[in-house]
Amino acid sequence: MSPTRRELLKAGLGIAALALVPRPLLARLESGWEPVPPIRDPRVKELALAAVEAARAAGATYADVRLTHTRTRRFTLPRAAFIQDAEQMAVGVRALVDGCWGYASSPVWDRNGVARLGRAAVASARTGSAGRTREVELAPAPVVHDEHWTMPVEIDPFEVHPFEIVDYLQSLALFTTRLPGAGVSNNNCTFTMQERAFASSDGSYFTQRLYRSEGRFVVGYQKGRERTGGELELLTPAGLGWELYKGQPLREEIERLVARLEEDLSLPLKPVEVGRYDVVFDQLSLARLVDRTLGRSTELDRALGYEANAGGTSYLSDPLGMVGKLEVGSRLLNLTGNRTERGGAATVRWDDDGVGPVEFTLVRDGVLTDFQTTRESASWIADYYARQGRPTRSLGCASAPSALELPLQRTPNLVLAPAGDAKDFDAIIAGVERGVAVRGVDVEMDFQALHGLCLGGNIYEIENGKRVARIAGAGLLFRSPELWKSLVGLGGPESLRRYGMATTKGDPPQHAYHSVTAPPGVFEKFTVIDVKRKA
Amino acid sequence: MTDLRRTNEPVEELQSEVSARILTEADCERILQRAHAMARGGGDTSVTITSWWQGEIRWGRNRVTSSTDRQNHVVMVSRMMPNGVRGTAQTNQLDDESLEGAVRAAERISGFGSVVGRGVGYYPPLPSYERPTSAIWSDATYGLTDEARGEVARALIAPAEDKGMLSAGYLEVRAAARAVLSTAFPELRNGKHAFWEQPYIRWTQAQCSTTVRNPAGTASGWAGGSSYDWGRLDAPAFAERALQKCLAAQNPVSLEPGRYTVILEPQAVCDLLELLTRTFMREHPENGNPGPWRLVYDDALGLWRSKLGLKVADERVTISHDFTDPDLGIVASTVEEPRSVTWIERGILKSLGHLLKTDIQSLDGWHSRRYAVGYRMSGGDTSLEEMIRTTRRGLLVTRLSNLRGLDVESLLATGLTRDGLWLIEDGKITKAVNNFRFTESPLFVLNNIEQLGEPVRVFRPTRGEGEQLTPAVVPPIKVRDFSFTSLVGAV
Repeated sequence: MSPTRRELLKAGLGIAALALVPRPLLARLESGWEPVPPIRDPRVKELALAAVEAARAAGATYADVRLTHTRTRRFTLPRAAFIQDAEQMAVGVRALVDGCWGYASSPVWDRNGVARLGRAAVASARTGSAGRTREVELAPAPVVHDEHWTMPVEIDPFEVHPFEIVDYLQSLALFTTRLPGAGVSNNNCTFTMQERAFASSDGSYFTQRLYRSEGRFVVGYQKGRERTGGELELLTPAGLGWELYKGQPLREEIERLVARLEEDLSLPLKPVEVGRYDVVFDQLSLARLVDRTLGRSTELDRALGYEANAGGTSYLSDPLGMVGKLEVGSRLLNLTGNRTERGGAATVRWDDDGVGPVEFTLVRDGVLTDFQTTRESASWIADYYARQGRPTRSLGCASAPSALELPLQRTPNLVLAPAGDAKDFDAIIAGVERGVAVRGVDVEMDFQALHGLCLGGNIYEIENGKRVARIAGAGLLFRSPELWKSLVGLGGPESLRRYGMATTKGDPPQHAYHSVTAPPGVFEKFTVIDVKRKA
Repeated sequence: MTDLRRTNEPVEELQSEVSARILTEADCERILQRAHAMARGGGDTSVTITSWWQGEIRWGRNRVTSSTDRQNHVVMVSRMMPNGVRGTAQTNQLDDESLEGAVRAAERISGFGSVVGRGVGYYPPLPSYERPTSAIWSDATYGLTDEARGEVARALIAPAEDKGMLSAGYLEVRAAARAVLSTAFPELRNGKHAFWEQPYIRWTQAQCSTTVRNPAGTASGWAGGSSYDWGRLDAPAFAERALQKCLAAQNPVSLEPGRYTVILEPQAVCDLLELLTRTFMREHPENGNPGPWRLVYDDALGLWRSKLGLKVADERVTISHDFTDPDLGIVASTVEEPRSVTWIERGILKSLGHLLKTDIQSLDGWHSRRYAVGYRMSGGDTSLEEMIRTTRRGLLVTRLSNLRGLDVESLLATGLTRDGLWLIEDGKITKAVNNFRFTESPLFVLNNIEQLGEPVRVFRPTRGEGEQLTPAVVPPIKVRDFSFTSLVGAV
């Protein structure tokens, strides 16, 4: 049973500022063990520089170190207020020798320990390369001289008393259950705050404080004997604080969701008729589509086969030959990447290579103009940049969840540019005479991001610009090159929505988050199949 | 009682033990006792320690790209104050202050909610048993140094590079330890450790896999394996097999989707059966939740019937697991009595796992297992070559990828073939074939078996920090009428 308002007042909101876990974690910065200081403390810098120095002295061509201090707080409702706190410290040293990256990490911030890690990283790199040199050229990056950046959030979620968060989540659930026919099946949220310090052998040192918040609110709706459900789409992972809940119109959104579920149940259910149709995708479906086709296939390391044993490769298999030339979609397609947008789940001030990311264009008017890169991979298409008269520089896509893991190239925030002036999903549907509308589908891709299947979600039949029926058991098949060439319409600026997504990559698997902003869109001649039908 | 609040050893000594990769039994014991001693205010305390180390080496385009050595340890403190809810706090630092901070945090969280009158209720007499020690620690795995890993990686790359192909791959050795100490239900204790606790246990895991592709990107072959014991993995054989598959996969043709007789290599079989293994839970059918083992609603008795006792697969199919099987290397878990269990015996659904509550309320005594955390499937004596030879027209599948469930009752799923698909005509492999998307169910496969081969260990990699391996030993299977629904040009 969660605390009542009376209990809350009695406890005194004055203690709200107290963290649940008092500041106990220790680091060995000088002679003895002492509480972990804020990341800006000069002793943290000394620790970082000691690690880099040890790696340098052991013979690394390039070395960097990350120290991370991560706090996570997870709330799981509805049955009982269930709160989980976790705190983690980690330090990891990366060293480059003969083109092989060595990495050593441990949970202890300790002077002797970090020096040992530096040497271990170099030793690992040596045994990895063992004479079979690989060419690695790190694209130049400006040196960062002792700077700090805190992700701007309106309300630090760790400063809010957990009672208040539980209370708010409970109130959302109560609000929903008061709407006739509606119930709540999932109600949880997770807040993460990470302080990181980075130092490199190039002479960079900086610290950052990053936040990530996400939530899940799943609503069920029942009318008569039929049941359906939907999820609040405003709570996907974002670089925000408690304003993820407090700063968004969640109550209105819940009302809209329930109204939509009610409308869905009022539409007749029809079996799928296989064929080719004009299909309207809502913002979430289009975001997933662009993420899993172009977002995955433009990762340069994947395109060159470095993920072949794990997630797979890319259908853009000849990056140097294709970039700048290949038409990957219709002229409507404009896709940019960034790690700078406020509230983006991949937003940082400097990435895990020490590079400050800039906004870049992946696709302009349907033509592939760039690939996602890190300092290492940028040099793989240096020829292209030279032809364009651009400097070879990393686009800032290096990322690792904490200092325990080796940084990998990950997807940045993606933005699919709007076109036209349709205000929302329904407005675009209004422009289609006959076809199919798709809401919140999942997109299953193959290991080259080439063939895809959209399934799940809600699929509707459109007639004269209106949704007239629900279609059961439909799937949509596509092939990425043809998919984007058949894009014929997009929503306008008002229809843009942003969604945070989690992806997994690498051996061993690592998680990373990024946001995708997309309008709704229309494709022509999409293949619709009966997904459960066997051959 | 001695004051266990402060360890006698200076903190620095404890921390230096971290360099010994995983925490020893003595370390865990000390931390558990200290954390428990810090609890204030009564109630129950449960402390779980997980400690892991991983040595990894990764390569792509015929060169090692990274060689890493990582470790972490996590202490999770769970406090349940009198009439409070369960509060959990987690830290990865082992010093007194951090532990005490975690305990206090857990206590504070516990106090945020209330559960009035939490009683124990009736529990039948607990069994007393010896915990079997399955062979899950291998010095060969733990001792595979980074030099050795580097050498193995280069030996795996060499055959592919010599033939002008591109090799990518991954090798990982891992050691982990776990210990759980809890104070709950003291009246039910029987012996030194209660069944909900985990006395210190440590295990190793090794995995190795490689993908060989041609420079044009039009052919791909894969092979890999995993085991607790590095000595049981034949890494050079993986490299050779992946290369042979890549070479044989060149110039693929496209076939019409449809139903084919299919020879699923063991890796493909376990990829498909993964959908099945989590379904062995009794409560789902008996509560009326749709699932593969739900039968009908019995109006007279007012309950749902499950398919226990009914034939659900071909009579050549027996799926079971045994904790002491070295091939499976299962880490015995707490809460249930670790015993070998047979899920499907000669095609008949023999047992389903269940929750503790069902044990107490409906069954007398204690029974084991919630779902299959590893399994061995029976086989036959038809070799893969024999299967190919007796196929008039069919497809040979290396493995399946990107599986997605479509229907919970029939376990119908869709996914893709990957890294090697060949056409068999009149007993011979004739052509490489472009990958297909399939729409098929493991239950269908288990009911349409033509031939079975010898069960072998397959590639079942670990999935991250603290998680345990779900090993499998499965045979190759020849199935008729396997449904491929569309062409997928991906390689």
